[in-house]
Amino acid sequence: MTGLSLGEKLFIQGGIAQDLRTDGRKRLTYRPIYVETGVIPQANGSARVQFGGTDVIASVKAEIGRPNPMQPDKGKVMINVSCSPTAAPIFEGRGDEEVSAELTVTLQRCLLGGKSGAGAGIDPTSLVVVEGKVCWDLYIDGLVISSDGNLLDALGAAIKAALSNTGIPQVQVAADASGEDRPEVDISDEEFLQFDTSGVPVIITLTKVGRHYIVDATGEEESQMSSAVSISINRKGHICGLSKRGGAGLDHSVILDMISVARHVSEQLLNKLDSEISAAEAVQNEL
Amino acid sequence: MTGKGSATPATYSPSPTSRKGKPPAYKDGDLNWARPDGRGFQQCRPAYFRTGAVNAASGSAYVEIGNTKVIVSVFGPRESKKAMKYSDIGRLNCNVSYTSFSTPVRGQQLDHKEYSSMLHKALEGAIILESFPKTTVDVFALVLESGGSDLPIVISCASLALADAGIMMYDLVASVSVYSLGVNLVIDPISEEESYQDGSLLISYMPSRKEVTQLTVTGEWSTDKINEAMNICLDACGKLGEIMRMCLKEAASVSSEVNLGRPGGRLKGLQGA
Repeated sequence: MTGLSLGEKLFIQGGIAQDLRTDGRKRLTYRPIYVETGVIPQANGSARVQFGGTDVIASVKAEIGRPNPMQPDKGKVMINVSCSPTAAPIFEGRGDEEVSAELTVTLQRCLLGGKSGAGAGIDPTSLVVVEGKVCWDLYIDGLVISSDGNLLDALGAAIKAALSNTGIPQVQVAADASGEDRPEVDISDEEFLQFDTSGVPVIITLTKVGRHYIVDATGEEESQMSSAVSISINRKGHICGLSKRGGAGLDHSVILDMISVARHVSEQLLNKLDSEISAAEAVQNEL
Repeated sequence: MTGKGSATPATYSPSPTSRKGKPPAYKDGDLNWARPDGRGFQQCRPAYFRTGAVNAASGSAYVEIGNTKVIVSVFGPRESKKAMKYSDIGRLNCNVSYTSFSTPVRGQQLDHKEYSSMLHKALEGAIILESFPKTTVDVFALVLESGGSDLPIVISCASLALADAGIMMYDLVASVSVYSLGVNLVIDPISEEESYQDGSLLISYMPSRKEVTQLTVTGEWSTDKINEAMNICLDACGKLGEIMRMCLKEAASVSSEVNLGRPGGRLKGLQGA
């Protein structure tokens, strides 16, 4: 999103300073959020989320796998993001690698918790079928269809919606086979288990333009940023991950202030998302 | 052959399972556990810095902190590739690589792909990119031995190498990480500790300007804990910055002589907060 004239740049910066952005929003207001669940029938769970002109899809696929020998009581969760060239021509070929890798790493940091698994949005112990032998591998794939800023928050919201849409098939382990190295399992295609997604955090990116910070920046606004901080916060108000994106240095008191602003915003966003997700689920069930 | 093979004791092989599978000294609720190398919770490892490690580079630095050994070379500024668009500010190109013998098991360096972009982010806020328009500066980091806290050490070393190369910067960047385990905050983890942490926090900081250039957090943290961890890190970064500055000063003062001395400081018993 380059090619802005000096006048346009000053207009964006001036608007943010006066708490009236180019699309009429205040600094801490989100664009309209649209959530649709169950968009990919082949996946165990999926969701499409739109923040204004930003459009992303997340899908969750579960496969039977073996737990890591170091952590026999935990299933594995993999997150991967790709950017489609339909969103922007620069994503064609290998052009999306840099953006995709950055989004993937940040999402992993924000959703999967520490090395020991503490603080993860998805409890990895709930994915184990037989300890040390059989577990579910959860593949979470994000896809950027249309990009107009704030990709990370949209992907975070889409993953949250997709996880609450996910049903993991019930698994029966043959009783006499539990001693074997590779026990035989019977995967039910009728009974599904729902995830507890109350612990999944939301990601809030605060973009600093001039002396102020804004949420849900559009592509144009992002081109004027001096720096941005993405903070993932759960229901308890705890920080589950944080990462600073490029640009200039920040005073540490500014970062602490950003964290408190993000916590305030996160409550509203969590409530908004939860109601949107349940509304989307209700629509899906009617069909 | 087979019978003999089974009778003789197994040949030595540094198996990762036997090392990492060792139960940590820490147990839930236990406040007084000891770190594997006997340090205090808020005590950094001794640091040794030295500039001018590579003759061919415009600037270079070598850092040894505990078992972690890193070498960084800076090349340029050179003309940007023709394919690049015109840019009135300079470009920074960063790359972090590991030697194949840097870890106990050969070729086991996993997910370090993001280190290059994280190094870039930590440095770009400190470099005055306007001072070399249309050109590119290359920063190549090589981790000779991975002993934990690799990324913060790479960042500190890279900023020293940039200073050695005479690239204009606002300030040196010192970087430190802490990890949380139970209720404790522990600074400058070694590899063994990194594998069982509950959460980690990494700060890159410009001590004189008092600005944070990069901050990443994983795991679940309350605000108070983040605050405490940040203060510990900032304090340690300040002290690390002093040592880096000392190393640069010494290198400058002995530059007329043959540079055989050890221009570097020893950091012992660095106490946080």
